Amino acid sequence: MKVRNFSIIAHIDHGKSTLADRLLHATSAVDERTGRAQMLDSMDLERERGITIKSSAVTVMHEYRGETYELNFIDTPGHVDFTYEVSRALTACEGAILVVDSTQGVQAQTVANAYLAIENNLELIPVINKIDLPAADPDGVSMEIEHVLGLPAEDAIYVSAKTGQGIPELLDAICEKLPDPAPSMGDKLRALIFDSHYDDYRGVVVFVRVFDGSISVGDKIRMMGTGRTFTVTELGRYTPFAQKLKTLGQSEVGYMVAAIKTLGDVRVGDTVTLEYDPAPEPMPGYKEPKQMVFCDFYPSSGDDEGGKRSDFESLREAVERLHLNDASFTFEVQHSEALGFGFRCGFLGLLHMDIVQERLEREGGVAIVQTAPTVSYIVDLNDGSTLEIQNPADLPDMSRVKAIREPIVKIEIICPVENIGDLMRLADSRRGSFRGQRFVSETRQILDYQLPLAEIIYDFYDKLKSITRGYGTMDYEITGYEVENLVKVEILINGEPVDALSIICHRSGAEGRSRAILAKLRKQIDRHQFEIPLQAAIGGKIIARETIKALRKNVTAKCYGGDITRKRKLLEKQKEGKKRMKNIGSVNIPQEAFMAVLEQEG
Amino acid sequence: MPTPPIQLSQYDDGPSLAAATRIVDGSSPDALYAHVPFCRHKCHYCDFYSLVDQRDRTEPFADRFELEAETIRGSIDASKIRTAFVGGGTPTLLEPPLLARVLAAIRAIPEETLDEFTVEANPETVSEAIAATLVAGGVDRVSLGCQSFQPDLLKALERWHDPSCVPIAVQRLRDAGIGRISLDLIFGIPGSTIDDWDRDLDAVLALEPDHLSCYGLVFEPGTPLAEKQRLGRVDAIDDSIESAMYDRTRDRLAAEGFEHYEISNWARPGEECLHNLVYWQEGDWLAIGPAAAGNLGGIRYRNLPRLDDWLDGTGLSPVVNVDQPSAVVASGERLMLGLRLRRGIDRAVLDGLVTGHAERQAAVERHLQRGNLVWHENRLRIADRSIMLADDILSDLL
Repeated sequence: MKVRNFSIIAHIDHGKSTLADRLLHATSAVDERTGRAQMLDSMDLERERGITIKSSAVTVMHEYRGETYELNFIDTPGHVDFTYEVSRALTACEGAILVVDSTQGVQAQTVANAYLAIENNLELIPVINKIDLPAADPDGVSMEIEHVLGLPAEDAIYVSAKTGQGIPELLDAICEKLPDPAPSMGDKLRALIFDSHYDDYRGVVVFVRVFDGSISVGDKIRMMGTGRTFTVTELGRYTPFAQKLKTLGQSEVGYMVAAIKTLGDVRVGDTVTLEYDPAPEPMPGYKEPKQMVFCDFYPSSGDDEGGKRSDFESLREAVERLHLNDASFTFEVQHSEALGFGFRCGFLGLLHMDIVQERLEREGGVAIVQTAPTVSYIVDLNDGSTLEIQNPADLPDMSRVKAIREPIVKIEIICPVENIGDLMRLADSRRGSFRGQRFVSETRQILDYQLPLAEIIYDFYDKLKSITRGYGTMDYEITGYEVENLVKVEILINGEPVDALSIICHRSGAEGRSRAILAKLRKQIDRHQFEIPLQAAIGGKIIARETIKALRKNVTAKCYGGDITRKRKLLEKQKEGKKRMKNIGSVNIPQEAFMAVLEQEG
Repeated sequence: MPTPPIQLSQYDDGPSLAAATRIVDGSSPDALYAHVPFCRHKCHYCDFYSLVDQRDRTEPFADRFELEAETIRGSIDASKIRTAFVGGGTPTLLEPPLLARVLAAIRAIPEETLDEFTVEANPETVSEAIAATLVAGGVDRVSLGCQSFQPDLLKALERWHDPSCVPIAVQRLRDAGIGRISLDLIFGIPGSTIDDWDRDLDAVLALEPDHLSCYGLVFEPGTPLAEKQRLGRVDAIDDSIESAMYDRTRDRLAAEGFEHYEISNWARPGEECLHNLVYWQEGDWLAIGPAAAGNLGGIRYRNLPRLDDWLDGTGLSPVVNVDQPSAVVASGERLMLGLRLRRGIDRAVLDGLVTGHAERQAAVERHLQRGNLVWHENRLRIADRSIMLADDILSDLL
């Protein structure tokens, strides 16, 4: 029997999941009555957002020219934040179907995903989808694919995943064009982990592709990266319904259950081998997940008291529970002057952050205040040691600091030609450096830039969308850390530095950001009996200043018989207000003031 | 006989006649406050209970007022009553015969002759007949709302009287035999300057009052003035100008021989308003008339603030907003009111109010250190320079 291991890759909303469904139907794996829409996506959230977050694998049988083919669909996450996961899933394949929407054309993630597949030496089948739509331009789009990716336009298969048009041709192409799995390199078990799920009943379910040897129920296995050992209790595959197997053999794809309690014990990209008969080398390409974007989550309580303990406990439960299903975000308890107790979380990227926040609110039932995202910095100290920090308050005294490095991304924007100028101005204003410009078609171009991650986590994507009226798409990839002229800006209130208000930013933008923060603080801090200077300083040098004028009047003029209770209550309110504030340098600072630096800039 | 404690939860929801009876019966007030809710026009800064265009109700008002006063007379110990005050609204909008009946009803309550009987008046309402009615009714003190002598500033307050009617009113009252006259002014009116304020002080001093109340304008929430401010149609003046106006007031009135005895009140020696001192020294006073507020036996209350419903009754008015401050709250109120008086609080009294309240004690010390509070002749008071920030200080002491 022949085996075809392949993924479907696409830009968001180009129809990947619908196409997967259609292929399952066409191979009779799912009949119309029992089939649910978009079989491969298991979470509501994924379905709503039209993206696939977690991959899984489905095995179906197909007859082609009198031969039975075992087709293993390996689903991939649809966003760049999961680039590493996508690349691991692609490693498990020999081929990929590159789906492009015939009304949208090549988009940023089309390109990014195609490159990943090419890097993994996958055979690509370009598929032009949604050809049933009136606005479809399959010929134009296949020319774009040829232009940008070098895949011959005549190789593209035109389909409508919705009507089923072109699906038989695609199935034939999968059998005909995609290569057989490569022969085994050795007889010792090597199975690549390309995904894992948490299941309330069975614990962690691990998805593997066996490259060498075979694995059986009862085997004692070892994860070669983490060194953890387990005993296999169940093996199987989804068709798409679970079908238990005794053994997974060479080049097969399936799932494994081995009494693994948490997702933290399993790393995508790790290699499974046998404890007593191990392979000499793991599969290449294993990496630890790396959190690049950070923000704080606090419970948003409706009352005046800020983060109540019980709200925090609900948040903690939600975070811990979600972490069972997604070990790729990190969390630690954080306390903020403004918001009380919460968690500082680390994410693979921006979308990952949004997804975690939504899932916490939706699945955990907690309302969340999210602070503005930050990146992690690497600080080189004079003594030769390095330090990684995410919080400006953790930055050591600048006299000990030799350099600060920040994460840099390579960004690829696909946009209408008429927006090129505006987008270049946007990228330039975000410390971007221009890397290149290519044609996709007569009307659209690819713009390559390199810029600091810190500059795109604010509102870059929103700006891009508004400049291009929704037509622009972007993709980014973190390329490393670079030394930049970064400074710690301290905020002083009445001469006292307030740690919780300090920020790290590029020197060129320090003055502007400082002024914006001071202006917000000026509005939030009540006037006192004395004039309050608000200052922003870099290494003791003042770069911006605001002043809160002294309060000259706070007195009730009339307080007669009928007024006393009401006036007393007004004073009690003033007193309570003062109590809730943080007193620094004899200035009462309200919680809202601390939000001045935590909030997204408007 | 001590008043049995009242279970407030029984009363704090709606108007209650039972609560009124429990509060008033057997009380022994030091003062009487009567409220007359009628106005010709609602001034835009005013947040007192008053009704416009209800002049057909003045006679039912007097009838009902007499019934309430009569009931009160029969149910209290009236031996301690020394002062009475008729406020509004505009009490002098009542036709002279009705005003006479109201005054008589009040005078019938106390056992002894009153030491002070004050009626509030708007200058434009003081006719010779009204002046004569007041004197005949036993009134010996009139508080006249002047607010300003400058038409454009009066207009900013939606106060429509002609400033020239003020000296006429003062003369009529004096001619009729009213011995004590107090005048009200407002400073800090939008658009006003220090020079404007000086001219107002000139005008009011020329009338040789015995007593002056000078109020910094307050944008009371819910008033048309506050609404205009919210809509940006009027701006409060800069608080440093307002503060300067206040300093000017203190300097000029001191030079003229007035004693500054409360944040907003000045008097010639011996001319303090005895009735208001009852409020500020936590005496007991009894309320008559719709929306009038009282304080008896440690319980604050307000008569029903709806004219129609009040008119429906026959005896005591049902009461609302019944509030019995706890010991801590009550001592906090005493600090608040005591420090609003310029003489401040005697050291021994103060000790009783702060002992056992570590937070309060620390706040007193802190404000002494900052110079906001000072000791003067063994009494604690707010420093002259900090009076305009009194609320900032007092809120820490509650």
